[in-house]
Amino acid sequence: MPETAAVSIRNLSKSFDGTEVLRDVSLEVQPGEVVSILGSSGSGKSTLLRCINWLEQPDRGDIRIAGDRIGVSDTGKPMSRRELAGMRARLGMVFQGFNLWPHLSVLRNVTEAPIHVQGLSKAEADERAMALLEKVGMADKREQYPYTLSGGQKQRVAIARALAMQPKVMLFDEPTSALDPELVGEVLGVIKDLSKEGYTMVLVTHEMEFARAVSDQVVFLDKGIIIEKSHPSEFFENPKTDRVRRFLELEAPAV
Amino acid sequence: MDSSAWGLLIQGAWTTLWISGISIAIGVVMGLLIALLRVAKIPVLHQLLGVYISLARATPLVTLVLFIFLTAPTMGVNLNRNVAGIIALTLNTTAFNAEIWRSAFNNFSKEQREAALAIGMTPWVYFRRIMLPQITITSLPGLVNEMSFLIKGSPAIAVIGVVDLTRVTNRISAVTYDPLPPILAAAVLYMLIISLLVWLQRLAERKASRLAV
Repeated sequence: MPETAAVSIRNLSKSFDGTEVLRDVSLEVQPGEVVSILGSSGSGKSTLLRCINWLEQPDRGDIRIAGDRIGVSDTGKPMSRRELAGMRARLGMVFQGFNLWPHLSVLRNVTEAPIHVQGLSKAEADERAMALLEKVGMADKREQYPYTLSGGQKQRVAIARALAMQPKVMLFDEPTSALDPELVGEVLGVIKDLSKEGYTMVLVTHEMEFARAVSDQVVFLDKGIIIEKSHPSEFFENPKTDRVRRFLELEAPAV
Repeated sequence: MDSSAWGLLIQGAWTTLWISGISIAIGVVMGLLIALLRVAKIPVLHQLLGVYISLARATPLVTLVLFIFLTAPTMGVNLNRNVAGIIALTLNTTAFNAEIWRSAFNNFSKEQREAALAIGMTPWVYFRRIMLPQITITSLPGLVNEMSFLIKGSPAIAVIGVVDLTRVTNRISAVTYDPLPPILAAAVLYMLIISLLVWLQRLAERKASRLAV
């Protein structure tokens, strides 16, 4: 019997004001797997990612995290706020705009949820946070406030903040799109390290080379439909559809 | 001015301080609660609070003080002057504070909320730990500004016979026939109180600049 999928999306549909942005999308992410979602802007890839942790509520379909359905309780009713928060705590999310909490220092950004959601003591949370800040290379900035950091540093802190909850799955929503080109590398480096450590990750990105290097599976969305789902070498070297071929020519011209 | 005149002045200053202080303390908290209720857009209540805010902001303080002091007995409540003064000042400052809080709520970024919910916070934890601290910091300059307006407007309570820092100068000059020294002394005391607030405001603004990401 196969392992329970870390994320299982079945027949997901979602509309905004009558415009369908996701149509009958199904996707499985196995534990330890890195899945990249590609597509041009407006293809629905961010919406798909945001449905996984219920920041957007799908109109139809269901999403399971390690076998447990998110958003809808066993009785079929919408989850209570507390149940939903409990499910979301199992997923870490990294945003395009970092979304650090500006009133808290770097260290407190990372310890906030472990202390006030998981109920860790300050000492335990500090210890966990410092190990993670060490990992992302931000330990020496622990007392600083977000406004003093560069974009790349903010994003590395945001990654540590998400990891501090020890999530089952990490979701990355265009984590380098808001960065100056010279800062992209430091963030991608951290994400790459995580993939080597066996984290399960779902990644929305425009970094084609990176997606190719870290992914176990690449998914291509076009107008809310998954039109290709394959291994990165297959996807980049031998795309099955003209749509993907055109996309790759524009986004990742052959070197 | 002799020492007994100074004693009266200090008493007047104290009256101004404690009556304004209580009104400010209640007004800041009530303003927050009203802003929250308005942001929740509960029908009828939303409109009622809107009417209250417009009325309270449009009414001169002196008028409001007199209105409270004179209408209370007609409804069978016998108000002490000080209490009437506090109620009037509170009604006034609460309305202004509610608007300051509300604009901070409306300008608060939804990304902050998403980051909190995504990491597993319930809406209550998010409000307490993420939103309220930031909104307090951004509102503080406006709130402190309103505090100094209130203190400067507080001589309005003299119309119902509360002997505050302004009114007390009349009493002193009624004895000395020399109105200038007590007025000057009162001005100095007002300036001391206000400069304390200005200093607070500067602290608040320095903290607020941190939030500009």
